[in-house]
Amino acid sequence: MTILEMKHVSKAFGGSQALSDIQFEVEEGEIHALLGENGAGKSTLMNILTGVIPADSGTIRFLGKDYPTPTIQQMEAAGIAFVHQELNVINDLSVADNIFLCRELTNKIGLLRQKEQVARARQLFEDLGVDIDPTAMVSELKTSEKQLLEICRALYVDAKLLILDEPTTALSNNEIDHLFKILRKLKTQGKSFIFISHKMPEIFAIADRYTVLRNGKYISSGNIKDTNAHEVTALMVDRQYADEDVYVSRPLGEPILELRKYSGRGFHDIDLSVRRGEIVAFTGLAGCGASELMQTMFGALPAEGGQMLVNGRSLTGSIVRFMKNGVAMLAANRKENSVVPDMSIMENFYLAEHELSRAKHPFISMKEESVRYERQKESLRIKAGSSDDSILSLSGGNQQKVFLARWLNIGADVLLFDNPTQGVDVGAKEEIYRLILDFAESGKTVIINTLEIPEIQKVADRCVVFYEGQIVKIFEHSQVNEHDVMLYSTNAIKSEEAAS
Amino acid sequence: MNNEKKSFGAALGRAWSQYSFIFVLVIIMIGYAITIQANGNTFNFGHIASILSSQNTVIVGTIALGMAFVIITGQIDLSVGSSLVLTTGVTIVVFNVTNSILLMILAALVTGILCGAINGMLVGFGKMPPFVVTLGTMLIYRSLTLSVVRKVDPAISGSSSSQFAMLSKNSKYLFLRKTFGAGKLVIGKFSVPYIFFVFLLMAILFIVISRNTKYGKAIYAVGSNEKSARLAGINVTWVKISVFILTGLCVGVASILQACKISNVTPASSGVSYEMYAIASVVLAGVSMAGGKGKLIGVIFGALSYTTINFIIVSIPGLSVDIQDTFQGLVLIIVILIQTVGPVIKENIQRARKRRHAASAENA
Repeated sequence: MTILEMKHVSKAFGGSQALSDIQFEVEEGEIHALLGENGAGKSTLMNILTGVIPADSGTIRFLGKDYPTPTIQQMEAAGIAFVHQELNVINDLSVADNIFLCRELTNKIGLLRQKEQVARARQLFEDLGVDIDPTAMVSELKTSEKQLLEICRALYVDAKLLILDEPTTALSNNEIDHLFKILRKLKTQGKSFIFISHKMPEIFAIADRYTVLRNGKYISSGNIKDTNAHEVTALMVDRQYADEDVYVSRPLGEPILELRKYSGRGFHDIDLSVRRGEIVAFTGLAGCGASELMQTMFGALPAEGGQMLVNGRSLTGSIVRFMKNGVAMLAANRKENSVVPDMSIMENFYLAEHELSRAKHPFISMKEESVRYERQKESLRIKAGSSDDSILSLSGGNQQKVFLARWLNIGADVLLFDNPTQGVDVGAKEEIYRLILDFAESGKTVIINTLEIPEIQKVADRCVVFYEGQIVKIFEHSQVNEHDVMLYSTNAIKSEEAAS
Repeated sequence: MNNEKKSFGAALGRAWSQYSFIFVLVIIMIGYAITIQANGNTFNFGHIASILSSQNTVIVGTIALGMAFVIITGQIDLSVGSSLVLTTGVTIVVFNVTNSILLMILAALVTGILCGAINGMLVGFGKMPPFVVTLGTMLIYRSLTLSVVRKVDPAISGSSSSQFAMLSKNSKYLFLRKTFGAGKLVIGKFSVPYIFFVFLLMAILFIVISRNTKYGKAIYAVGSNEKSARLAGINVTWVKISVFILTGLCVGVASILQACKISNVTPASSGVSYEMYAIASVVLAGVSMAGGKGKLIGVIFGALSYTTINFIIVSIPGLSVDIQDTFQGLVLIIVILIQTVGPVIKENIQRARKRRHAASAENA
């Protein structure tokens, strides 16, 4: 029996069409994998289903009832529960308190019937085969237990359909097995799940059917047992993607950066050698460890083993130590990690260089800073008015260029770019790619961490694919294509090997 | 015409948001002049000179300079009143024993810096919230001084009651107390007390640090966005510690002024609430309590404004000194209200204007 039917759903944000004419159906008692690359429209579709945002057109039918203008409250009451990737549990309350949050059991004068809450929570956990103490504080739970707690919470209000958004990202293999066991049990009780994940082995282990979205369009759906990881990946990836090629191959210099059994938070035993003038791309799914590796290579996170050598010198310690040896990192999440919002463009620009020159020249020479700024402004083509204007007056792309300038200003020759085109418009993206190639041309070494495969095809000499904290594959420039990179980053290769 | 008016309004709005502390001081000064005139006296430079030499200006003002740095990094220091008492105690004892101006200054600075460094290390290395750390040291510094003062030989403490006092039989006493502590630089009809120049010099030092040094910019960066500051290579922990040490330096200088101007310190009652007065001066100076924003030059105006409010209240006949803090509190709240509510009102006006424009465009 079909419990959910979404038809002809469309949604535009401003000028861009996020979803057009989507159809999506979920049966009773099935686990339905919703697949697609980043930006394919999965989140938008789920937000429409749960009433977070309204659709422009289309119909939603759930359990035989139409919802022309769904609200969050309506859809919750109807029995749809959204288990978000970033868990919405409250750490400072007990497990039972979390389950009964906003629907507390109270006596006549409004006091909590805590014993009863704990007893009912315990009963719920027993029914599901979950081993959590209802009186424990949520802050003491493991991530996997929090995940289960949120699922239990949804089941307590008798949700029929649970949306699980990348539920396994923070879980170990054993924990994933445990979660899947519980999901299968719930399935036999008639519960349905929408399972959003990028990890192919999991999808083929747990899902019954799948629907693929690409660039906001419905591509296809079918039974998992009738397909394989290769086919699904091909559906997810847009083969149409073609753009002007800016890549030029260059002669590369001697090895400048070497990682030997390098380990840290979220990655381990990384061996890699990068040559002067080379552009290397790191890629993988969210949580694959590439961003953490990059931050560790800049001293922002502590290394836990192995060595990083730059020009033959082993680097450890504080960020300034890495900067002194010519390493710079353009951090991901510009607003959070790069922007100093109360400062001007100029101040944002010179901040990093000051940390290196402060001991010898403690005073600021505005004349000198202006010369340095103008030089970078020109070569990076930063579009800005007065350098005294607030950094917030610039567009995302120009802000990002100011931070590029910040690092070029310290004369760094190993540039680590963590997701450099995030929140940057298309035109500025192209410019940033050109700049990256220019840097390499002038002998700088660039490592970029990105999830966008077309980006890698544009600039990278080599592409390093990460899966769960380890390098699974290194592609040369000519070998890079979306399909293969996707196969390795979702670890679909392994599941097929296991199957055959 | 309309355009001109608008641009003048915009300029005034900008000036207010950047230099609100000047407006605040001017308004309060006018209020003071009015009360003086109402009492039948003429407002003259003598009144201003007494504001300049008041302990609220020079002592609290000097401390407020360091406090401003602490607040710009997004922290707070509640211990300054107590460390002033402790530091002044040490300063006076050293003077009484050695009769040396150099050693006295040295003792003041070292003790002040030590008090600040303890706060800074607990906050920086202990990763504890500054509010709690300095609340603790606030209790500790004062109570330590209090417990010592009763046990010290009057020949050293300079007083048989529970205070530390400069020994008048020391040969340098007259110079410190009369020539420096109460002395004034007279230029024609104007006279400015020497101790005000000490405050001014300190203020200039702090203004230069905040505007013209690379370290100064790091202070703002840490307060504005700690994560970005760290990823730009700034040693955030050290910056956070260093501002407490600078505050300690200010307390050291302030304790020299306390010794020279007041000549004694009573651990039970001196410097009480000075941390609050210093914070108030910093707030009147237009420094954001959220950190990252504010001009050090404003602290001079903030401290003067704060003192002037006191003088107004004292000069109104029939008004008890006890009500002083009520007025100070009110002025503080009103000024901050204007600073925070102002932009909100402005935004509402702009939104209403846009709606009107849109409506008229539709009609057309």
